[in-house]
Amino acid sequence: MTAPALALDGVKVNRAEVPVIHDVTLDAAPGEVTVVLGANGAGKTTLMDGIAGLAPVKSGTIRLDGTPIEKLAPYKRARAGLGYVEQARTTFRTLTVEQNLVVSQSGDGDLGTVYKLFPELDKRRTLQAGYLSGGEQQMLVLGRALVSAPKVVLIDEMSLGLAPMVVRRLMGTVGELAGMGIAVVLIEQFANLALDVGAHVHVLRKGSVVFSGPCEELRGDERRLHRLYFGGPPLSAAAGADPAAADSGGGTAPHNGSDAGKTESELE
Amino acid sequence: MLNSVIAGLSSGGGYALLGLCVVLTYRLVAVVNFAMTAVGAMGAFVMVTLTDEGLNVWLALLIGAVSAAALSGVFGAALARWFAGHREGTKAAVTVALFVALTAIGVRLFGGTSTGARQFPNPFSDPVFTVGSVVVPQSVLVSLAFAVLITVAVGLMLTRTRVGLKLQALSERPATAQVVGIPAPVLAVGVWSGVGAITMLVIVLVAPRLGGDFGTLAGLISTALAVAMVGAFRNLPLTLAGGLIVGCLEGMSASVDSIQKYQGVVPFLVILVLLWWRSRREVWDTAHSR
Repeated sequence: MTAPALALDGVKVNRAEVPVIHDVTLDAAPGEVTVVLGANGAGKTTLMDGIAGLAPVKSGTIRLDGTPIEKLAPYKRARAGLGYVEQARTTFRTLTVEQNLVVSQSGDGDLGTVYKLFPELDKRRTLQAGYLSGGEQQMLVLGRALVSAPKVVLIDEMSLGLAPMVVRRLMGTVGELAGMGIAVVLIEQFANLALDVGAHVHVLRKGSVVFSGPCEELRGDERRLHRLYFGGPPLSAAAGADPAAADSGGGTAPHNGSDAGKTESELE
Repeated sequence: MLNSVIAGLSSGGGYALLGLCVVLTYRLVAVVNFAMTAVGAMGAFVMVTLTDEGLNVWLALLIGAVSAAALSGVFGAALARWFAGHREGTKAAVTVALFVALTAIGVRLFGGTSTGARQFPNPFSDPVFTVGSVVVPQSVLVSLAFAVLITVAVGLMLTRTRVGLKLQALSERPATAQVVGIPAPVLAVGVWSGVGAITMLVIVLVAPRLGGDFGTLAGLISTALAVAMVGAFRNLPLTLAGGLIVGCLEGMSASVDSIQKYQGVVPFLVILVLLWWRSRREVWDTAHSR
C-alpha cells in the first residue's frame, strides 16, 4: 500500500476557542482524490483550515509525507508542499494573472504547466485577477496551488457559485492533478460529482468522521448519504426507514479514521 | 511670507515621508502605527547622543537608523506574533500604548521640552539660491528630493519586484498570502524595520527646524496621520502632496504673528477638515435615503 502523503491522527481543531473538530483521523494517498463530505456546519472548512494552519490544532498530529506539520506556520506548511484552494475564489484581485502565479511559485513549480492546464489563463496573463470570470478565477486559484509544486492540495468547495458546465470542467482538472501524483483532498457540495472523481470518502458530522470508505460505496446512494449527513432517515422516507439504522441524536456518532472501511451502521 | 512658505516646504518634504510611512504600514501590514515617530525619535536621539560624545556624524547616523529599525522590527514581530488575528482597532491601540511608553522613556532618558533640546547637525542650512528676497535653503531641495525619491522607489518596489508583489498580496489577503507560501511575519518585520529607519532619517532632517526635544519630535505622529489622511491612507502621490501642503500651511502660519503660537494646531485642522469633507457625502446620502 502507498504511504499516505497526508495523515491526520486524532486531530482536534477549535474555532474561536470553541471545539469544532473532534479526534479526526484520516489519510490521503498520492495520486488519489480523497473526498470529504458533510452537511453545512459539519466542520469541513474548519478541518481544512486546521490542516493549512489557519485555525489552531489543539491536539493530534498532521503529517505531510511523514513529517509532522501541525506546529508550523501556514507559510511553512505551504513551503513543505501543502497547497490550499480556499472557498470563495481567493485571488489577489489587484495583481495580474501572472503576478498571482509568480507570488505563489516555489521550487519546481512551473507556470507553463498551469497555462497548459488552463489555456484561458494564458490569454489573460496581464489582466488583473479581479476582472476574470468566476470560473477563470477558480482556475487561477487552482493554478496558484499548482505552481507551489505541492504534494497535497486541499480544495474547499470550488464549485460554489459556478455554472454546472464550469464545475464539470474543473472536476476533470482535479482528476488531472491526481494524475500528476498529487494527493487531492476535496470538499464538495455536489456530492455525486465528487464521488465520481474520488477514490476514498470521509463523511463528517458535527466535527467527527462518521464514515470512511471507498467512494463507490456511497456513489448514487442519496438516502444513505442523507442519513450520514444528518444522523437520521430522510424525512420523506422516515416512515419506512429501518429504525435500527437511524441515529438517535446525531451528536454522539463515533468518529475517527481507525474505523475506516466500516459502514455507518457499524460505526453507530 | 513667501520665505516662510519656502521654509515650510523643507518640513513638508519630511511630513510627506512620515505620512508615506504611515500609509505603507497601514497598507502592507494593516496597522495604524501611532508609535512610529516615537521610534524614529529614539533612533535620532541615539544618534545625537553619539555625536555629542564625539562620534563621526555619518557613523552615528547609521547606528541611529539601525537602532530605530531594530526597535521598530521588534514591535512589528510582537504584533505579528500576538496580535495577527486581531482587529485593526486593537492593533492601533497597542501602538498607542507603545507610543505613550516610548515617549515617557524618551523624555526620561533625553529630557523634556525645557531641558532636553539637543543640537542636531544641520548640514543643509546654507541657501542654494535667492530669488529677489526669497531665500531657498538646501534643506528644501534635499527634503523634497528625499520625499520624491522614496515615493518613487517604494512605488517601483511594490510593482516591479517579487518582494513588492508579495507585499501587495499580503496586504490584500493576509491569510491567503500565508497559505500560498508568502512568509507574512518575515515580510511584516521587514516593513516595520524599513519604516523605523526612514522615520529616524526624516526626524533627523526636520529636527533642526522644529526644535530638538524628544516630546516635540515624537509628537510628529499627529502631523504624519494628517498627511496620511490626505492620501486616504492609500494613495502615495496624494500623500506626498499632503505633506507639502501641511508644511506650507505651517510655514504660512509661522509668518503671521497673531496666529504663530497656534502653529501646532495645523495638523488637527487638516484632520478635521478632511473628516468633514469625506463625511459630507454620507450625510447627503443618509438625508436622501429617508
